[in-house]
Amino acid sequence: MSSFLQSFLDPKKSWLAAMHMKSLTKRLRKYGLRYDDLYDPYYDLDIKEALNRLPREIVDARNQRLKRAIDLSMKHEYLPENLQQMQTPFRSYLQEMLALVKKENAEREALPLYQRTIP
Amino acid sequence: MANKQLLSLARRSHKPPSSFTVVRSSSSAAEEFIKPPPPTAMIYDRIAHSLKSKLQKLEKPDIRFLKYGSPHPTQSSHTHILSLPETKITTLPNGLRVATESTSNSRTATVGLWIDAGSRFESDETNGTAHFLERMIFKGTEKRRSEEEIENMGGHLNGYTCREETAYYAKVMGNGVLKAVDILADMLQNSKLEEGCISRERDAILREVQAGEHTEEAVFDHLHSTAFQYSPLGRSIHGAVANIKTISTEHLHHYIHTHYTTPRMVLAASGAVKHDQIVEKANKLFTKLSSDSTTAKEPATFTGSEVRIINDYVPLAKFAIAFEATSSTDPDSIALMVMREMLGSWNKNAGGGKHMGSELAQRVSINGIAESMMAFSTNYKDTGLFGVYAVAKPDCLGDLSFAIMSAITKLAYRVSEDDVIRARNQLKSSLMLHTDGTSPVAEDIGRQLLTYGRRIPIAELFARIDAVDPSTIKRVANRYFYDRDIAISAIGPIKELPDYNWFRRRTYWNRY
Repeated sequence: MSSFLQSFLDPKKSWLAAMHMKSLTKRLRKYGLRYDDLYDPYYDLDIKEALNRLPREIVDARNQRLKRAIDLSMKHEYLPENLQQMQTPFRSYLQEMLALVKKENAEREALPLYQRTIP
Repeated sequence: MANKQLLSLARRSHKPPSSFTVVRSSSSAAEEFIKPPPPTAMIYDRIAHSLKSKLQKLEKPDIRFLKYGSPHPTQSSHTHILSLPETKITTLPNGLRVATESTSNSRTATVGLWIDAGSRFESDETNGTAHFLERMIFKGTEKRRSEEEIENMGGHLNGYTCREETAYYAKVMGNGVLKAVDILADMLQNSKLEEGCISRERDAILREVQAGEHTEEAVFDHLHSTAFQYSPLGRSIHGAVANIKTISTEHLHHYIHTHYTTPRMVLAASGAVKHDQIVEKANKLFTKLSSDSTTAKEPATFTGSEVRIINDYVPLAKFAIAFEATSSTDPDSIALMVMREMLGSWNKNAGGGKHMGSELAQRVSINGIAESMMAFSTNYKDTGLFGVYAVAKPDCLGDLSFAIMSAITKLAYRVSEDDVIRARNQLKSSLMLHTDGTSPVAEDIGRQLLTYGRRIPIAELFARIDAVDPSTIKRVANRYFYDRDIAISAIGPIKELPDYNWFRRRTYWNRY
């Protein structure tokens, strides 16, 4: 069942998914953002925890990208064309750490209440 | 001007080559050939790549580290330890069974007699004879003083009386085994039970009875006496004080004559022993015991009841809750042993602290509601007891009772595979660790021959233990715990301990 969904969502296998990825790439490239930059720590605390665990350089790079994108959006501009060609919007840095944090939280929920913290 | 050019050249040569500038130079050359930088270009990409590989390694842990211990209980194969030395059993013509397990590398041996007689076989008037007799037998025979002779050899002579069995055994060096058999036979058959010794022993026993008022044994004695009231298992091993005062030589001789009979005895030896030598010696020596094989036994009846002895002057409350369990020959007794390991035991000195395996032990330790807690499962010939014994301060008895009853009743509803595997592994290892040394092995041989009639091979025992899975636990728990009467015995400052109806209501849940 899940593999059927994966084949539906996989850009290499499904034409629709490839089209979606292309349009996302175009839009992210215009602002110089990566897909993982769009994950909002205020929206989900798991993302906040995962960002806390990532190394400093990665989080600094993410914040610089976000600042650059905010600045461009304020000026109603896009990134210069040569820089746009160099963007890698789907190079991920957050997905594995996020999955790990979610797995730990799920394990913690399975414990009884008084065992969820270190006694 | 030249200085400035030189300085800028030097500065440019010291700057680390960043691919950004490299790409920039190439991008200015041909615009259509701009490619995004490879993942090793920027430091944050390099770090992200190494982090990704480390996180992926977490998904597949290195099995080398998990080979001997892992956070998940696993079933492992024990075939390499199941081939232990064989127990040789011979039945003599008069009914006596001789069983030995010789381990060739040991230089000491334990030889003893296990007798299928105990306080259960007495009547109300003679209650206490078995224990008295066991003490008297050590005092000497017509020819010699047994204790002295064994100690001259450098050995130990010991004995105990239970409700259903009595044992006399000696731990000696390998070359003293036959002499020990001689001494034991002499002790049993030719004991001179004289009046002077009897009266001295009587005082000693009375003092012991008085001293043991508040111990753990007292709780279990009361538990048996209330659970098996009006039936022979309920009688205490020491006997009633009035009986102790009136026991005489004729009572003791009568007891030997009726109950120490050869079909009910097992001569067990383990260590540096040779089977044929012991059989020969036993044939020659055990001639004066009667061969009557009738074992008069009244059936034991379980009565759901409680006994509470309030004493506010002791600091800790001790109580035990027991369900009626099954006899030792019932196949469900193995499942009950596994369930006993699932409930586990804990005390404040336990090395595991708050992280023990059983859920009941964790609840008790994390909330600090007991000083110590122990699950027990005892089996007799036709009945048994299964329950939990706890020692606690007087103010947390309510929480403790709730934890205990919910853990026991939960075994009938929700049992996880991990818990069962852990309990099975613990049971197997505790059985094997307990039979280390010649004395425990001899005791194991004697007990098994008396209860099962044969010595269960370890392979069969392990197979029976492995056959217990969560559905078996649920079935056995439903059979013995679900909505069944219990027996409670409590001593100490037990004012806060809930009443019998409270406990009886929590032997089932209405949630399902």
